[in-house]
Amino acid sequence: SVTEIRSGFTAIKANIQARDPIRTLSILSHPHSLHKVQSSDRCCITHHLFNFYVDKVFKHCKTEDSYVNRKISSIANSFLSVKKKLRQCHEQNKCMCGQESTEKFKQILANYKELNVTSAAMKSLGELDILLDWMEKSA
Amino acid sequence: DALLPRPQNISILSTNMKHFLTWSPVIVQGETVRYSVEFQGEYEREYANESWIPICECSLITATVCNITEDISATVAYNLRVRADIGARRSEWGSLKGFFNRITTSLTPPLMKVIADGYHLLVELEDMGPAFQFRVLYWKKGQASRIQQKVVTEVSSVVHLDTMEAGPDYCVKAQTYVEAINRSSSFSQPQCVRAQGGRSVWLV
Repeated sequence: SVTEIRSGFTAIKANIQARDPIRTLSILSHPHSLHKVQSSDRCCITHHLFNFYVDKVFKHCKTEDSYVNRKISSIANSFLSVKKKLRQCHEQNKCMCGQESTEKFKQILANYKELNVTSAAMKSLGELDILLDWMEKSA
Repeated sequence: DALLPRPQNISILSTNMKHFLTWSPVIVQGETVRYSVEFQGEYEREYANESWIPICECSLITATVCNITEDISATVAYNLRVRADIGARRSEWGSLKGFFNRITTSLTPPLMKVIADGYHLLVELEDMGPAFQFRVLYWKKGQASRIQQKVVTEVSSVVHLDTMEAGPDYCVKAQTYVEAINRSSSFSQPQCVRAQGGRSVWLV
């Protein structure tokens, strides 16, 4: 659940964000924040982002710290659990993608490709609270 | 050096979202056998090259039980394994037969204490952790058709249920609900009290 993801992330947030020296670029918020996404597109953006984190981000976030790795595993498995539920919504046409969400997600991928894969993954993980805040506000 | 036998009878004890891995001890005369535990979630199997993650609180321990609650923090299928060590000698991994998913945890009815504080019907619920909510049902004895309900999402202290009339008995029962796995426990046994002026009276 999102609550468990939030508590897992809070436990390692400082550690992860300290590993991201690049302050001039945001993966999720550049150029526009998630808050500009219309409500009709929210499910689709969430679906895309959960796929993005599971497929691209977590696997490149291995650290030398066993505790951090365990928390990342917790978050990744929780994401996988939610991702499977969102896939059901998508398959039942309850999670339609509009023009805006498609554009927004393209921008996120473009931001991601600006950096080398490890830096991009670590920055994305460090921005997890941006995603969680947006999900909770728009719930 | 003969290879150490791998740990056997590996199983999970899971109650109220607290999960423990247990196994039979490996017996080697005159030696202290130590054990290490690793887990693998569905994510690791499908997206991270089937990698395993060590649980450092259960690395080279002599006990034959490991609290894996912290690491089983998603409703997906987990693999678990244990191996034995004596100095440089090491066994093969012994694995849990099948997966473990926390959705199978056994949920017990909550401990509760019903209090008649003057004319106030109160209930004190056991704090079972942030994953737990409670559904409390209460009714005037003999009027089970007019059951009332209160959902308690955070156990802080005593919960006020109702203001009682003098005379009839009031009964209360409760069950837990775990949102993460969308399951409830069975109900506790009803407890009944009666209000009489300012004195608390217990009727079970």
